[in-house]
Amino acid sequence: MISRSVCERVLSAAASTGADYAELFAERSLEHNISMVSDKVDKIQDTTIAGAGIRVFLGLRSVAASTVDTSEEGLIRCALQAASALAQGKAAADIRLRERLYGDAHPVRIVPSSVSNEEKIAVLRKAYRAARSYDKTIKQVTGNLLTVDHNILVANTEGTYAQDRQIRTRLGIQSIAEINGETQTGSCHRGARMGMELYEGPVNPIAIGHYASRQAITMAGAGYCPAGVMPVVIDNGFGGVIFHEACGHSLEASSVAYGTSQFCGKLGQVIANEKVTAIDDGTIPNAWGSVNFDDEGTPSRRNVLIDKGVLKSYMIDKMGGRRMNMAPTGNARRQNYGYVTTSRMTNTFIAEGSDSNDDILASVDYGFYAKDMGGGSVNPATGEFNFAVREGYMIRGGKIAEPVRGASLVGKGSEIIMKIDMVGKYLEMGQGMCGSSSGSIPTNVGQPMIRVSSITVGGR
Amino acid sequence: MRFEVFKEAVTAKAQALGLTDYELYYSRSESVSVDVFRQEVRSFSSSLEGGVCFRCLLGGRMGYASTEDLSAESAEEIVLRAAENAKVLESDDPEFLGEGGASYAEVCPPAAPQLSAAEMTALALDLQKALYAADPRVIDGTSARVIRASDDTAIFNSRGLDVSQHTEAAVALAAPVVTDGKEMSNSYKLSRLKDGLDFSEAVEKSVKEATAKLGAGVAPTGTWPVVFSSSAMASLLGVFSGIFSGENAARGMSLLKGREGEIIASPAVTLTDDPFYKDSIMPSAFDAEGTPTSRKDLIDAGKLTTLLHNLKTAASAGCATTGNAAKSSYNSPVAVRPFTLVLQPGRLTADELLAKAGNGVYIDFLGGLHAGANPISGDFSLQSGGFLIENGKKTQAVRSFTVSGNFYQLLKQIDDLSDTAELSGFGSAHDFACPDVLVSVLSIAGK
Repeated sequence: MISRSVCERVLSAAASTGADYAELFAERSLEHNISMVSDKVDKIQDTTIAGAGIRVFLGLRSVAASTVDTSEEGLIRCALQAASALAQGKAAADIRLRERLYGDAHPVRIVPSSVSNEEKIAVLRKAYRAARSYDKTIKQVTGNLLTVDHNILVANTEGTYAQDRQIRTRLGIQSIAEINGETQTGSCHRGARMGMELYEGPVNPIAIGHYASRQAITMAGAGYCPAGVMPVVIDNGFGGVIFHEACGHSLEASSVAYGTSQFCGKLGQVIANEKVTAIDDGTIPNAWGSVNFDDEGTPSRRNVLIDKGVLKSYMIDKMGGRRMNMAPTGNARRQNYGYVTTSRMTNTFIAEGSDSNDDILASVDYGFYAKDMGGGSVNPATGEFNFAVREGYMIRGGKIAEPVRGASLVGKGSEIIMKIDMVGKYLEMGQGMCGSSSGSIPTNVGQPMIRVSSITVGGR
Repeated sequence: MRFEVFKEAVTAKAQALGLTDYELYYSRSESVSVDVFRQEVRSFSSSLEGGVCFRCLLGGRMGYASTEDLSAESAEEIVLRAAENAKVLESDDPEFLGEGGASYAEVCPPAAPQLSAAEMTALALDLQKALYAADPRVIDGTSARVIRASDDTAIFNSRGLDVSQHTEAAVALAAPVVTDGKEMSNSYKLSRLKDGLDFSEAVEKSVKEATAKLGAGVAPTGTWPVVFSSSAMASLLGVFSGIFSGENAARGMSLLKGREGEIIASPAVTLTDDPFYKDSIMPSAFDAEGTPTSRKDLIDAGKLTTLLHNLKTAASAGCATTGNAAKSSYNSPVAVRPFTLVLQPGRLTADELLAKAGNGVYIDFLGGLHAGANPISGDFSLQSGGFLIENGKKTQAVRSFTVSGNFYQLLKQIDDLSDTAELSGFGSAHDFACPDVLVSVLSIAGK
């Protein structure tokens, strides 16, 4: 993409006013998104993203600059702009970059850009038709197939010169059902750090369509969820968004390093129920949130965040690490060159426990069962989080009873993770897009079925 | 390569391919921001972003391709890719390129103060100092930021359309974190910087809001009258503004389809789309298809008067475009969006509105809007924060409860509105201005 010698000159310019660290991040990415609505291919969004971001650090100060001009002159101009904003004297930096080959733990058999529009549409149409023909109460279906070919280069004054090609694809269907004038939606998304081979086995497009429509119909026929505080069972897969929101964001250096996290200074302390072991693992082969190395050039790894309730690690980027006196953990991420990198999650999940699903459900006399979750959000300072339930049921006498709609779960992260008192045996992941200061990035959430002994269920 | 040169390269390639209907949309944003933590500059960042989107009509279908790389190769490539993409589209709705209008409104957005990097840094440090000085409970974690941004947009097409626009603004962001020794609370407020560079209102309001929430309790579960603050109402309106989209209506994704002329809200409700709203950071004289924009009521005293349209949705609905074509990003297909949606104020002061509510809940924070609200059915169940209303006055702070309801029903349950609309300050061409709003009854889940 950009040669080693050009990178060396750009970094020299960036560090010319006394920076103790300089970094160049360059990318050229293709994003292709086909949408269907009303049974027809409606839109194709097809974008080349190209540009570079330069960062310089001096102690705890950082300067970031980005540009769409990736010619050597453009990069040097951007580097000098960053250097002049730092302006702490002069330094004749002698920068020698060494190429690093981190390897690729995520093989891709069918590169999306080598597949025709027609072949991609055939995959999308399979899922779309499955959703549409599921039942006569399905009034509208929308679907999209996203493929991303993200080429990045990271060079920094620590000598790193590394390139990576991150290929991802994701298929999503949203169904709208109408029963007796009541309209409700259902949706299903599956994605991976894989090529189009994802739809030739690992993921069945027809199952995605069926899932979305089944959910829409279930919810359209449901009454409203009652409001109140009750025990809640959350199923595996996307249910893991509870840990992501209630706890994950508050373990990112972006809040811990600045004192705005409920978990500051709690390493080694019990912060969760002893049933809870939580892990962030960016190395899982072909997983949606995996990276070979992060956007600062640190190789990704498996970080045990919480071990049997005890806080073991945070998720740390280079600047966060400087403030916290801790090493980076391979969690530095950015949506693209225009965003300033910060600490983010990769594939974050609650590890498998020892309770059976039957025992978990049977333990609740009256409560709520969240089969599928929507997204959520959190304020890391207070730990207050919320998330939406896409498909929920009441639990009566230890059994899943009638479906209910319009539920959301709210609470305080530090309180909720103490209340996760049963953890099942079957871990599954769900694929989400996580939004934060460094943009929208792919992250996996995951967990086995869990029980939260009490939580506020919003409904009416 | 500069845009003017790129434009010529694209035109040459389009003509060489025999394309007769094509358009180039260009957007460029520059921003500089300074962020202060404790008493030091934590980060300084500058960015230059933007790209071009080419679209063309081929066999009645509109293909799109975009790039951020303004090179000669890219110019050829996006023309080829857009044509390639047009070939596989299937929608039979007629597609249009805009021809623009005979005249455009004069919009004169106030120029932003020209601040050097050093001036921005000094201002951010002053803001941070003012935050610490405002209250002894303000602690580290508090941050102050000053941002200067400008946007350029241009549209050029084979029908003779050639329009462009420049907007710029400078804002200060106050984000205090406070503690009472037991728990933390935070808040933030944006203040648009004008010539006087005054940020005192943002400091005062944000610190007051953050400290007021310390020691918050939990709201009682039940059904209560609810007063939404202007910013909470703006959030809610933001999530559900898609129900007024002619595009969503055509797809059966808005329950307002075909209901023009019907009563859909209480008589207290008048909702206006205003591209020239007085405090808007980005007033717009043309939409994303180059059509001149105009001010119009969507709801007039409870009655739905029109949905919002672009050229394509207007043609399929059999009406004229309302000049609401929009792109969420330069590379997005043309869709439909309001400019500044203004919920017109009523006659009561904010205190009189609370008095009218009697006993209930005042909500000034709504969270998880991307997840807890269903823009199609109108159902919402949202994390909330605010205060109890007891005997017509705000009392105990409350947090971590949810408010649930249905937006279509809520429109009919609006009993009254306060007399001042405030712009929510999302800082884009698409914004929301609301007064405080009294809703007769909503469901609250707390303790």
